[in-house]
Amino acid sequence: MSVRLWDSRVPQADRYHYDMRIASVLLLVLLQGTSPQDDGQWTMPGKNYAATRYSGLSQITPANAARLRPVWNFSTGVLGGHEGQPLVVGTTMYVVTPFPNVLYAFDLTHEGYPLKWKYRPEVSPTALGIACCDAINRGAVYGNSKIVYNLLDGHTVAVDAATGRELWKTQIADMSQGETTPMAPFVAGNRVIVGPSGGEFGIYGWVKALDLATGRILWTAHNMGPDSLMLARPGFGRYVGDANIGVSTWEGDSWRRGGAPVWGWITYDPQLDLIYFGTGNPGPYNTEQRPGENKWSNSVLARRPADGSLVWAYQFTPHDSWDFDSNAEMILTDLVVGGRMRKVLVHFDKNGFAYTLDRVTGELLVAEAFANVTWAKGIDKRTGLPILDTTKTTGASRGNVKGICPSLEGGKSPASPSAYSPRTGWFYTATNNLCMNFEAAPVTRIPGTPYIGASTPYMPGPGGNMGEFIAWDAARGRKVWGIKEKYPVWSGSVVTAGDVVFYGTLDGWFKAADAKTGRQLWKFKVGSGVVGAPISFKGPDGKQYIAIYAGIGGDWFLLSGDVRSDDPADVRPPADFAPDLARHTSQGGIVWIFGL
Amino acid sequence: MAACNRPDANVPPSVRYPNHVAAGGNAPPAGEIKNPLAADSTNSADGGKIFSAMNCDGCHGGGALGWVGPSLVDGRWRYGGTDGALFQSIYYGRPRGMPAYGGILSAGAIWKTVIYIRAQPLPVTVPTESFK
Repeated sequence: MSVRLWDSRVPQADRYHYDMRIASVLLLVLLQGTSPQDDGQWTMPGKNYAATRYSGLSQITPANAARLRPVWNFSTGVLGGHEGQPLVVGTTMYVVTPFPNVLYAFDLTHEGYPLKWKYRPEVSPTALGIACCDAINRGAVYGNSKIVYNLLDGHTVAVDAATGRELWKTQIADMSQGETTPMAPFVAGNRVIVGPSGGEFGIYGWVKALDLATGRILWTAHNMGPDSLMLARPGFGRYVGDANIGVSTWEGDSWRRGGAPVWGWITYDPQLDLIYFGTGNPGPYNTEQRPGENKWSNSVLARRPADGSLVWAYQFTPHDSWDFDSNAEMILTDLVVGGRMRKVLVHFDKNGFAYTLDRVTGELLVAEAFANVTWAKGIDKRTGLPILDTTKTTGASRGNVKGICPSLEGGKSPASPSAYSPRTGWFYTATNNLCMNFEAAPVTRIPGTPYIGASTPYMPGPGGNMGEFIAWDAARGRKVWGIKEKYPVWSGSVVTAGDVVFYGTLDGWFKAADAKTGRQLWKFKVGSGVVGAPISFKGPDGKQYIAIYAGIGGDWFLLSGDVRSDDPADVRPPADFAPDLARHTSQGGIVWIFGL
Repeated sequence: MAACNRPDANVPPSVRYPNHVAAGGNAPPAGEIKNPLAADSTNSADGGKIFSAMNCDGCHGGGALGWVGPSLVDGRWRYGGTDGALFQSIYYGRPRGMPAYGGILSAGAIWKTVIYIRAQPLPVTVPTESFK
């Protein structure tokens, strides 16, 4: 690389081309299987367009990780679940809090990392009652001298990265329809890609592109409905679906309130010029109100960032019976699968299967269970369809269906993004070992209120551990190693060129493990359960650091066991399966930085 | 006064919460209203059906135990726990996400929902939580 992103003198107007060049270099490097020189920054949620969450920094190694120590921490003053990750751009670290979505800018060049500024937007508190799963925020993205992020109440804001001044604010979502916006926006070129939460509120799911310069909405693409609203043209690109498949796979007009939100992570392949994202569950949970495959809920969609046109789509869980959203990250890399080098996309679905797809065509290459699965016997590679255990199919007329694994929290939470190391060729991910019963009931949609229709208590899966952090070989579809954890593992992960992988636990430990062997190297108690995603960056002093949020929350069940101190939550069923969690953690957001 | 026994005669003026804050600590007129229905098992059962049909359980959980919205059966009230206060919360909505059901539900249906909520058992208060 001839230019270093670290250099703050880089002309900002060139940042887009710059990012494109970095992405191209990274892609080349991944093809070659060697690690790139890392610029030391962390400018987008998943580190790079491919969302590998791989840091090329190598000062921290299995040999010295035991000497890691906290060098700084900061209370965000917010109690909600601290998902997502900080950004490091140049010598500044940016932190977005859960509601009320304060943006902090820390100066890494001074002792104690004092604030340069903080930006406190106006956010409607009404969002608190419409966000399904705590008042979380999954982070910001940097692009062209701006920090861009979503407010919970359906707005995207762009803030001057140097001054904290608000540059634009655009309403993207409609809370009166049950839409909120905790997801982390993604920048591809001059497009800001955003989507809503609201799979439990009967929204009409979509993804939008905003102009990075002005915030103007450039296009809106729905995930179901007529082709004209899905921006789909059968026969265009690789999209071979039947005409208006987004209508014909639903009964009547049920697609209009069919959910399919976009609250997870987005990736981008600049060579193919495609963005990839997952869609969430169809609504309501009662399947009998939406007969059909319900396309394209629970799917991965590949769209052109310029105009949103749909190039291909693949549905992981047709006619979802269990709330198996597919919003988890789609990590891009190149792997030898079946003796052939393929451009792939790797995805750990809530349904318990890990998928390796050809990202050019959407062809299914590998699909194997990474968690305990009872709802399906496997995935048919020829048809791409799950082989169902029909005794686990739910619906209002089927009564209380018991023993479904994974639970609707997922074999892995989409809120817990995985990492990929080009050095080991493996993926690193948090997993949950929970099962559920599922009793569906008819429900009526009242806009702005929940549209669910099911009672779904959870219970621990077999084995005595409710979680495991694993390394996964996506070319072969098998687990390489695993570290069992008492509680579900709800954190993201980062893996480094020093072959160290980091993750956190709900009982408040932040841990380092050897990426090759899974041997635990170090742990530190960070004060609250970890649901955030760690990052690795190079400080102005040239040293490698690791940052992570502590702050349990992000879902009702994470507050089970009465981890709230300000307002005791009710821990009667169904939130009673981890009654002793409060012995180890309580709410409260803290940003931590660790170094050698 | 006979009119007061008809549930719909007790509907407060149709304004939403932001226009209805108790300025200066003076309770708004609607705070004075009394539940005209009997707190019996029939009305409670009807209220339970409404609680589910109107998606109250979607936020407040099955049995009103709490989910996104707070538990309604823990004995803790943010906006007052009297019948009239509960009626207002449902009718006008509350600022942290509680929709206004006035105009969607009749006053009688809201009163039945209030009866259902108040009929639910409270947990045993445990000020000290010990672990083994």
